[in-house]
Amino acid sequence: MRKLRFEYSMELKFSSPVSSHYFALRCVPGDSLRQKVRLTECRVSPADYTSALKDGFGNKKLSGCCHAPHDAFGYSVAGTAETNGMIVQKCPLHPMYRYPSKYTQFEPEVVRFAEKIREEWRSESAGTALEKAVCAMHYLHTYFEYSPGTTDIGTTAAGALKLGKGVCQDYAHIMIAVMRYLGVPARYVNGLMIGEGATHAWTEVYTDGGWYGLDPTNDLHIDGYYISLAHGRDYGDCIVDRGIFLGNASQEQKIYVNVEEIKDGRDSCVNGTAGGREADDP
Amino acid sequence: MRELIEHTEGINRLMARYGVKFGIYKGGEFHEQLFPFDAIPRVITHEEFQQLEKGLIQRVDALNLFLNDIYGEKKIIHDGVIPEEFVFISSGYLPQCEGIAPPKNIYSHISGIDLVLGKDGEWYILEDNLRIPSGASYPMIAREICRRVSPVTFGNNSVVDNRNYAVMLKETMDWVNTGGIPVIMTPGRYNAAYFEHSYLAERTGSELATCTDLFVEDNYLYYRDYRGRKQKVGVIYRRISDDYLDPMTFLPESLIGIPNIMDVYRSGNVAIVNAPGNGVADDKGIYYFAPKMIRYYLGQEAILKNAPTYLPFYEEDRKYVLDHLEKLVIKDVAEAGGYGVIFGNELSRERLAQMKKVIEKESRRFIAQEVVDFQDMEVMDGDEKVLRKADLRAFVLSGEKTRVWPGGLTRFSRNADSFVVNSSQGGGFKDTWVLSQWKK
Amino acid sequence: MGVISMEKVDHLYWLGRYTERVYTTLRVFFHIYDRIIEQPEGMYSKYCEKLDIPDIYTSNRQFVQSYLFGEYNPDSVYSNMKRAYDNAVVLRDELSTTVLSYVQLALDTFDSCRKTTAPLLELQQVIDHLLAFWGGADDYVEQEDCRNILKCGKYVERLDLCIRLDYHGKDLEKEYRKLCNRLGKTGLSYSEKNLERIGEIILKEEEPKRCYREALGCLGGLII
Repeated sequence: MRKLRFEYSMELKFSSPVSSHYFALRCVPGDSLRQKVRLTECRVSPADYTSALKDGFGNKKLSGCCHAPHDAFGYSVAGTAETNGMIVQKCPLHPMYRYPSKYTQFEPEVVRFAEKIREEWRSESAGTALEKAVCAMHYLHTYFEYSPGTTDIGTTAAGALKLGKGVCQDYAHIMIAVMRYLGVPARYVNGLMIGEGATHAWTEVYTDGGWYGLDPTNDLHIDGYYISLAHGRDYGDCIVDRGIFLGNASQEQKIYVNVEEIKDGRDSCVNGTAGGREADDP
Repeated sequence: MRELIEHTEGINRLMARYGVKFGIYKGGEFHEQLFPFDAIPRVITHEEFQQLEKGLIQRVDALNLFLNDIYGEKKIIHDGVIPEEFVFISSGYLPQCEGIAPPKNIYSHISGIDLVLGKDGEWYILEDNLRIPSGASYPMIAREICRRVSPVTFGNNSVVDNRNYAVMLKETMDWVNTGGIPVIMTPGRYNAAYFEHSYLAERTGSELATCTDLFVEDNYLYYRDYRGRKQKVGVIYRRISDDYLDPMTFLPESLIGIPNIMDVYRSGNVAIVNAPGNGVADDKGIYYFAPKMIRYYLGQEAILKNAPTYLPFYEEDRKYVLDHLEKLVIKDVAEAGGYGVIFGNELSRERLAQMKKVIEKESRRFIAQEVVDFQDMEVMDGDEKVLRKADLRAFVLSGEKTRVWPGGLTRFSRNADSFVVNSSQGGGFKDTWVLSQWKK
Repeated sequence: MGVISMEKVDHLYWLGRYTERVYTTLRVFFHIYDRIIEQPEGMYSKYCEKLDIPDIYTSNRQFVQSYLFGEYNPDSVYSNMKRAYDNAVVLRDELSTTVLSYVQLALDTFDSCRKTTAPLLELQQVIDHLLAFWGGADDYVEQEDCRNILKCGKYVERLDLCIRLDYHGKDLEKEYRKLCNRLGKTGLSYSEKNLERIGEIILKEEEPKRCYREALGCLGGLII
């Protein structure tokens, strides 16, 4: 078990004031079998009110509105999390994670890529769902290039495969599409990762009666250095920050994420495995 | 009856006066069209209606149980009665509705069940419409006018009064109301069914609202009045589709929805009529399973039959469909309103071959049905009686009890060779008489 | 129940204005149509000037057709009738189907008599329907606020037209008082300063006609 201190904030600046600004945020980590969270700060402003609810996927959601004209909006969340890594979070499978979703359709690019991975399984003699997933992750990490700015939030798994490069969201989508195509249920997770940077996204596969996390962008298992925010079938189901407002303004967004380990005494090998852990653009 | 027919023109004139119209887009422009009325009614005997009533209530009850199950425990899936892929790939299935218990556990408050009468004298269900079925307003107003034009016709025939639809609807809305005013929400005046939205608002005493009149605050839905006061809304009969309902949950580009209304709904602070997510139960693929649902949830045999339907998803059915495509109707499960319906006998050889390929590749996307040999109905064409295809949309309202509106919407096709009866495709409508048990 | 949204208030107000515009201009047109018989070509120019609408007409005959029925002439009586309908059709639940039907009938009459050689014969019916609409609104529209807002629109338009068409001072005074009386009951936000100024011009000015421009301006900016 690890103990992490996290800080996550977002500042949005509008070029001219906007009004009737409704928002729905999945920026607050919740408790799960993998993590126990204690919040020290949770602030959204400006807001006439905020209400906390769960969404249909079980994620924590803050929603609210600011009616009066404003030219900035933001939130900041901070606290500590006790995390477990590399465990199966036991939970019944919702069947929807077996089937293609908006971003993970079984288009020809996905099918072709998946078939290569199937060959890989054969040569690596991957047997269990987890072995298969890890094998797929290695393959994806090797043959897909990390390149910010080539894809956008609307890019599908097939679209990213066509380009051959992308960011963590694309890695996660491709991994999900491929796993589902090959018969292993998978879901999309976004969250925070040790270090300074931005939010991150990864994949969980269903194995052995529960969910197990893999980070194909970094070719790593989800260990105690990750904090989950929300999950869904794909990016579209669990957008961290969704808003709608009246006004014709351009926006500038700043995101700050910092996650560090709280070391109590002996356990100090924090950066031992974290070499490749710069968090990526979501 | 002769009198009614003689006065067809007068009846239609009165309908024009009352603005009984539907909107249609032609070449990108909005037009309002009269919905042509034919004076020869469809007559349903008392005994026949009793049977229909039983069958419809049974079906809608089962569909409501199915929706409760799908967004809850999913027993019907676990028990292997319906393959899960038919449910969870359906575009009507909305995971955002998981775990929500709608007020009084009713999902489909207003169900429009489309039926046809076969030549064998038997009613067949063509499709279930559980999202926002439209059309009840037309027969309501038509009856009002017909009675005015020819009291003697109604004096000689004992026809059950169908002008109580608004009362039934109001009772249904009241039953699920969480404490607040009733509202009918319309996407706006350029919607095809705007007449109906405004007419039902008038008749049920609900406020007719567009998105600009409604807003969410702290998990409640409010209607804003011009003096700046806000009124809590307890039930919203929304006539916009799920996709557009809440831009914060569904399509972000929706400009006609209410941001965060899904939160209010999830918190149990408003009833949404019909519930979001119903599309999973009126999916054309799920239709096939309705008789199985009835057996599963109610332990009964379905009283009303489905039209003989094949699911290319099942290998056996697929083989049959591919071998007999030229005599079947193919329906794209994602389409509605008479679109996406293909008649095998109208396809050229190349199109048939193409279609077969598509079906093989996307077997989940289609269902195939035998062309039901249904009874044509007499329709006046000038002074002449001609025969046309017609169907019946029965309206089933689920409130404290499940009730069938004694009447329904009988639509007929414009052309002799057309099977498509949708108003958007040029058809007309008739009054539907349900005879009372007390004969005159 | 008594809740009316901003949007509906707007429609009610403009429904009042447009039905009044159609009604009064049609009645005025009856006189114009009569005078055209003897008067020379171009007699409509003065009328256009008074109403502040562009004089786009080429002959008396063409004026009659285009001013009455011009579908693409934004100042035609027909266009105003259509606007009245557009505002009415979204108010069925407030007005009732019965009352709404008179606006529908007025519009349909316009549509059906476009080709006629004796337009006034048919257009009399439009006037009848509009009168029935007003009577119906008084009788059937349940909410008092609705009726008041509708009437406010009507009186604003009436006063506007009376000023433009040089009605007698006594008439203006009468219309002004009706407007004041109604406006107070609506809960609409309006400019008291403007209302007062209009009153001054109508009731106190030595030569009110010199201030009519100003009065029209005040009237236009009355409802905020």
